[in-house]
Amino acid sequence: MHIPDGILPVPVTAAGYAATVVVTWYSVRKINQKENPRQDIPKASLLTAAFFVASWIHIPVPPTSVHLVLNGLLGAVLGYFAFPAILIGLFFQAVMFQHGGLTTLGVNAVIMGLPAIIAHYIFRIRRFGNQESRRKTGIFGFLSGAVAIGISVAMFVLILLTNIPADLDIGTERAALYTLAIAHLPLIAIEGVITLLLAVFLQRVRPRILDGV
Amino acid sequence: MHMKWRIITCIIFILILDLVLPIKALAHGVKIEYTVNMAIEIIAAYDNGEPMGGAQVTVYAPDEPSSPWLTGVCDDRGYFSFIPDTSKPGTWDVQVRQAGHGDIVHIPIGEDMVVTGGTGGYTALQIVLMAACFIWGSVGTALYFSRRRRA
Repeated sequence: MHIPDGILPVPVTAAGYAATVVVTWYSVRKINQKENPRQDIPKASLLTAAFFVASWIHIPVPPTSVHLVLNGLLGAVLGYFAFPAILIGLFFQAVMFQHGGLTTLGVNAVIMGLPAIIAHYIFRIRRFGNQESRRKTGIFGFLSGAVAIGISVAMFVLILLTNIPADLDIGTERAALYTLAIAHLPLIAIEGVITLLLAVFLQRVRPRILDGV
Repeated sequence: MHMKWRIITCIIFILILDLVLPIKALAHGVKIEYTVNMAIEIIAAYDNGEPMGGAQVTVYAPDEPSSPWLTGVCDDRGYFSFIPDTSKPGTWDVQVRQAGHGDIVHIPIGEDMVVTGGTGGYTALQIVLMAACFIWGSVGTALYFSRRRRA
């Protein structure tokens, strides 16, 4: 899910950076509009660390394996803090472990961060209507986790499909990308369930953590 | 009689010579020439150890870094080998790529040639860093939850 250096042409990586700057600016603005913007910083730091290590957790999906991303979980629990959290997590993954790349940091932030913001809005739907119930938290927790990773995979495949260099065998690369997309289908369910469990757990033991989102 | 024995001895001698040195009698001289062809072997795997079977390989020569010198495909073990043109010394770039994942390895050919090299893999420092991050994360998590409890 992390696009490394040297895969995408320069205009695409530049556009990724431009989009990341705009979304980061908007996210920080939204955070500053909160009553106490600093209150959620420990929670955001904690989940940034979780995001940072999640990519080491590999799940075998024969014939390949996929790793956790947790962007939907971050979106659901952090709201607009999720985008800067993912950006920082991706930066450290690229610098320390060559997972992703510095030139593709912007593109990767868009691929994983934008669906996190969408997940935030999906998770908020639980507040509409009657009393917020555990079942609604579970359902929208699952949906936020599943939809976010689903959109990320779609964006990842779409960006790569439209930027296959001419000197590669386009048919082979396309087939490999489709295989990769199919291998991520179980991850959609897995991330949905993880987000569901965490959301329900937090609501039961410490509902205040979910107050702001 | 004496003459007869001499002829017989001569025939036997020729027969023995034929048996002992058959090659000398049948073949001509042998000339062997050799040229050293240095093949570069590449093994590509994902960071979890899974081989990049079927990944596409693009080789760029030092004199023309923008257009591929050779393209090919890794086998099921992620293995690929090629013989570079040694008349083009410099850094040869080999890119291995599959489904948007991949890396480029820079191979010096010429005077500063090294026998083995590669990209990726964790250094001791990175492993120490991982352990430190894990401990820091655990302490941070504990502090975060204990802080909430007191509040």
